[in-house]
Amino acid sequence: MSDNIKMQRVFVTGYGIVSPLGGDNAENLKSLRSGTDCVSPVTAFDVSKTRCRSAGQVSDEWLKEPMTRKSRRLDRSSLMMLQATREAVRTAGDFSPEIMVIATSSGGMSNGERFYRSLLEPSSRGGAAQAVANYMAQKPVLDVQAKFGWRIPAQIVSNACASGTNAIGHAFQLVRAGLYDSVMCGGYDPLSELVFTGFDSLQAATPDKIRPFDRDRNGLVLGEGAALLTLESEKAAAARRVTVLGEIVGYGVSTDNYHLTQPNPSGIGPKLAMERALADAHLDPASVDYVNAHGTATVFNDATEGKAISELMPGVAISSTKSMMGHALGGAGAIEAVFSVLAILHQFIPPNINFRQPDPGWTFRVVGNAEEPAKIRRVVSNSFGFGGANATLVLQAA
Amino acid sequence: MDPKFGFFVQGVGAVTPIGATAKETWDELVLGTEAVRQLLPKGFGGRSYYYSAVPAKFTTAAGRQPRLRRSGEISLLGVSAGLAALSDAGIPLEEASRGSIVFAIACGGVDYTRRFYHEVLTEGANAASPLLFPETVYNAPASHLAALLKIDGRDYTLVGDSSVGLSALNFASQLLAIDPALPFCVVVGVEEADWVLADGFATWRMASNQSSFPVFGPSEGTILAESAAAVVLSRSGSLRLVGTSAGLPFFSQKEAPAALAELAAQVCDGRTPAGILSSANGTFADRVEEAVFASGFASVPVYAHKPAIGDSLGASAVLQLVLAKFALEQQKLPPTLHAGHRLQTVSRAVTDMHGDEVLITSVGFNQQVNAALVGR
Repeated sequence: MSDNIKMQRVFVTGYGIVSPLGGDNAENLKSLRSGTDCVSPVTAFDVSKTRCRSAGQVSDEWLKEPMTRKSRRLDRSSLMMLQATREAVRTAGDFSPEIMVIATSSGGMSNGERFYRSLLEPSSRGGAAQAVANYMAQKPVLDVQAKFGWRIPAQIVSNACASGTNAIGHAFQLVRAGLYDSVMCGGYDPLSELVFTGFDSLQAATPDKIRPFDRDRNGLVLGEGAALLTLESEKAAAARRVTVLGEIVGYGVSTDNYHLTQPNPSGIGPKLAMERALADAHLDPASVDYVNAHGTATVFNDATEGKAISELMPGVAISSTKSMMGHALGGAGAIEAVFSVLAILHQFIPPNINFRQPDPGWTFRVVGNAEEPAKIRRVVSNSFGFGGANATLVLQAA
Repeated sequence: MDPKFGFFVQGVGAVTPIGATAKETWDELVLGTEAVRQLLPKGFGGRSYYYSAVPAKFTTAAGRQPRLRRSGEISLLGVSAGLAALSDAGIPLEEASRGSIVFAIACGGVDYTRRFYHEVLTEGANAASPLLFPETVYNAPASHLAALLKIDGRDYTLVGDSSVGLSALNFASQLLAIDPALPFCVVVGVEEADWVLADGFATWRMASNQSSFPVFGPSEGTILAESAAAVVLSRSGSLRLVGTSAGLPFFSQKEAPAALAELAAQVCDGRTPAGILSSANGTFADRVEEAVFASGFASVPVYAHKPAIGDSLGASAVLQLVLAKFALEQQKLPPTLHAGHRLQTVSRAVTDMHGDEVLITSVGFNQQVNAALVGR
C-alpha cells in the first residue's frame, strides 16, 4: 500500500459464526474456551469405504428458518450463511454493507452431487432443478441479501483453503484504501461427499484424532461452517457510534509454486505471507502475542508452517483451532478470524486439543488441550491452500 | 456506487472454438463464421446437447508445460489465453512475476469433477483417483498460470455466473488501486463444457437441443462452448476502462432489467456508447437486454457473439471485452448470427460504428448482472 493513498483504519464492528462448535456466537465462544472436541462420525453420506469417517459437523437443529415457500428451497450453505449473518448484524447493530466479499472453496458441491445422483437414478429427479440453482457459489450470498433486503455487489473468492482469509484480507484493503466504508466479509463451506472423498483419496485425512502440530500427527479431518465479519472505516464506525471489537491492521499473501497440493518444504510460502502481512501492518514479528495457525495436522503442512513460524516468531504462542472442529476449507479462514477476534476480546488463547508432544526443532509454544488466559493485543491468523495459495491476517485490539 | 478507476487494457488474448488467438477470433466473427457444433459425449436419459470445442491444436503449447501434464481442459485454455495476453501486452515472461492474476470462472473443472464423483459412486470411495481431485478445485487453473509466470504474490479466483468476468475486471482494478506498486494484473475468464453442465442448463430450460440458436428472438436456450479470454490490465494501454462495476444481484427475472439499467447508466455516466457488446444467449438474458437497450440506448448498434461461438459462461464477459478492443480499433461490429426481430438495433451485417466508447453488458444465468464501458 503506497503512502500516497490516505489509509483508513479498519475496524471489526460485528461478527457472526456457525460452526461445529455451536450455532451462534455464544455457543462458539463457550466451546472454544472449553476445548470441546466437536468432531463426530459423519452421518450425511456413506463413509464405509473411506479411511477417515469423522468430521466437524454443524447440527441441522441450529439451522432452522421460519418455514416459508422460499425457505424450503434454501440449501444448507444458505442456512449457515443466514445464521452467521443474523449474528453479525446483531453484534454490529444497524449495519448495512456496501459490498460483500465472501469466500468458498467447494461452493455448492453437495448440490452438484445431488444433481449427478439424480442422473444416475432417474427416479430421484425431484429437486434436480433446485440443486442446479443452489450449485452456484454465489447463491448463499444472494439468499442472504434477499433475506436482509440488501442489493449490493458480491465478490466470491475461491482460493481453496486460503479463501476465507483472502476474502477478509481483500475486504480490509478495500476499506483501508477508502474504496468502501462498510463491507461484509467472510466465508462458508459445507461438508460434501466429493470433497471428503477427495481428501481421503490424497491420504490427507486421518482415521485418528486430528492432532495439529503433534509429533505424531497423521492427517486432517474436515469441518464445515460459515463466519462473517463486518468491517468499517473509522469514519463509518464513528458515525454509527458502534462498539469497536477489534482492528485489522495487516494482510499478506503469497503463492507457492512448488506443487498443486504440496507446499514447498522450505516453508517459504507461509513465511512470505506472514512477513508480508506484518510488513503491511508495520509490525515487528516479536509484537505478535498469538498465532492462530492454519494447522491442518497433515505431516507436510504443519511441518512447513511450523518451520516458517519458528523462523519468524520464535517463542510465540500458537494453536490450531481446527483441532476442535476440523478444517472448514473456504470457511476456515473466516472462522479463525472470528476466533482471533474472540481471543482479543476475551483475552485468552484457544486450545490446540488432542495435543501430546511437539515436533522437535520448533521454537514456538503450542498451547495444548486447555485455554490459556493471556494478554492478547495482536494475533496472526494463517490460511494456506491448494494451488499454493497462502494468506495471513494481522488483527489487533482497537 | 462503485469507485471509478480508469485503468487500461494493455494486451488481450483468447482461445475460442473459431480462433487460436484473439485476432483470429475477431476476424472469423467479422466474416460471419459460426463455430462447428458437435454433440457432447452422451450422458444419461438419451438427452443430447451440442457444444463448441476448442481444437486441441490451439492449446498444444500450454499442454507441453510439465506442470500441466495432468491438468484439465480448463487449465490448458486459461493458461493459453493468459500467456497470449501477456505476449500481446509486450510483457516478457521473465517480467511477468511482478504482476497479479485474477481468474473468472462460473462452473470450473466440471469434467474432472464428474469423473471423480462417478468413480466415487460407481466404484466406491476407496477407488477414487487422487490425480483427478486436485484439478477439481476452482483455483487450479490460476495456480498453474501463477506457477508458469513465477508469480509469488497475489493470485485470485473469482466465481460467479456468466457475468463474473466483469466482476473480475473490477476486482483487478481494485488490486491496482490498492497497490500503486503493482504494475499489471492478468484477468482470465475461462470455462470448459460437459454434458452434465448442459443438462443442468436444460433443467432450467436454458439449453438448446439444436445445433444453433437465435438471440433477440424466441428463447430456445443456449449452446455451451469452451473458451478462454484474457486481458492485461495496467496503468497504460490503448483501451481505457472508463467505467466498471462489481455487479449487482437480481432476485427475480422481473428485477433484472432495472439492475442492468442501473449499472449501464452508472458506467456510462451520461455518455452514449458507439456500440454495445451484449451477452444475449437465447435465454431470458435476451429479454433483459432488449428492455434495457430499447429504453436507454435506442439508437446504439448491438452485437452478440454467442450465436457464433456459443456461451462460454465464465469466459464470456472477458471475451466481450477482448472483442471491444477490435470493435473500437476497426470501428465496426460483426454480424450477429441468427438475430431475431425483437431488437431493431442488432447488427445483422457488419455494422459501422462511429465513436470512441463501447458498452459491455452481461446478464448472468444465476442472478447477477454487470456492465463496463471501455474507450479508445
